[in-house]
Amino acid sequence: MFLLHRTLASGLALLCLTAFAAAEPAALTKEEIAGATRTDDFSIPTPGEFMSALDKTGKLAWKGLYRTAIRTDFTSRPQIALNLGTLIADGYIAIQAKEAQSVRNVGKDIMTLAKPLSVKDKIIERGKSLAEFAEKGQWDEVNEDLEAMQNEAKSTLSENNDADLVVLVTVGGWARGTEAISGYVAEHYTAESAKLLRQPGIVGYLSEKLDALPEKMRDDTSVKRTRSRLNELKTAVSFGRDVTPTVDDVKKIKAIATELIKDIAKKETK
Amino acid sequence: MKRTILALTLSLGVLHSARPEPSNEEVEARKRALELAGAFSNEGFKIRDGNWCGSLKSGTGKVIQVNLYAGNQYWFSAAATDGAKKLEVTVYDEVGAPQTSEPYQEGTTAAAGFSPVASGAYYVKVQELEGEAASFCLLCSYK
Repeated sequence: MFLLHRTLASGLALLCLTAFAAAEPAALTKEEIAGATRTDDFSIPTPGEFMSALDKTGKLAWKGLYRTAIRTDFTSRPQIALNLGTLIADGYIAIQAKEAQSVRNVGKDIMTLAKPLSVKDKIIERGKSLAEFAEKGQWDEVNEDLEAMQNEAKSTLSENNDADLVVLVTVGGWARGTEAISGYVAEHYTAESAKLLRQPGIVGYLSEKLDALPEKMRDDTSVKRTRSRLNELKTAVSFGRDVTPTVDDVKKIKAIATELIKDIAKKETK
Repeated sequence: MKRTILALTLSLGVLHSARPEPSNEEVEARKRALELAGAFSNEGFKIRDGNWCGSLKSGTGKVIQVNLYAGNQYWFSAAATDGAKKLEVTVYDEVGAPQTSEPYQEGTTAAAGFSPVASGAYYVKVQELEGEAASFCLLCSYK
């Protein structure tokens, strides 16, 4: 498709070179940038998209990015939402690894966490088809179903007046994706893959959303810890466009993300 | 690919966040955008489940921030309802400088193919160059 369009575009360019040059778009104004829309489902890429970019840097041993199963007996709804996000990212890792059993295991844990958030009924069919496609090795379909499952879970939260939990699901997914990918890059360092960790727009958006949560939710221990770690991560992933992070820089990102994931999964003791 | 388009069309009414329900015009614009994006699916592009819909007036544009990863290829596909005569999709970097992209334009649809060299935030502007007030929808595909 790119080639076809490139051919067409080249032909048009030859015919209309002068016109194209004259029609070069003007830069965005400060007002346009400040007023630009940002949405959870369009502005923020899925963990799968992040992993797709890393996958292009070489043949990856995705199974090495698995983690041990997390506990699923949380009682705080914000903490459940954060962990649901991390599990969705685990699902993308299992898809990249093309391992049906891991997809099923993650799917089961997602359902367990979805129940106390009252979203299980809406995503249960998606969970079944996810497992079936994984069993058949239809990985593109598994990827589609996981993304749809994530969005259906979020839409159900919104419908249930739990819209504030949506950003926590997104934060959990992004944090787990960043932990896994920075860990891989730290161990198999290349300049190209290290530059993928530059994500100031994403972490900026998520930080603002967390800051805007209702006070009661901000007081939740898991949310407090997440906001603090996210601020650390914000600095670490906001390097310049032309900067290549060193191995030590990447290890620092990995260390902060790992602590964040531990905080998210830590059972509160009262 | 048909499965993707069907699933995405069905999901339009339930997409999350506290957005208002999409209007019938937005549903129509999204359907047209999906048809356009579907052509790229045949080339291995995956359509993101999310979408951005709204309204446009002739000579005006709307801007959304997206976060892209170097190494991935992207298509931003937009479509508008019949009031619009000509659309344009333009990609800008994080400071608002226009980026070189592969243009596509036909009637009420337009798209931009873009391969970022740096990961980070970008902006996509959907502009109605000719026509009357119309609804539009923008989709993102990547591979």
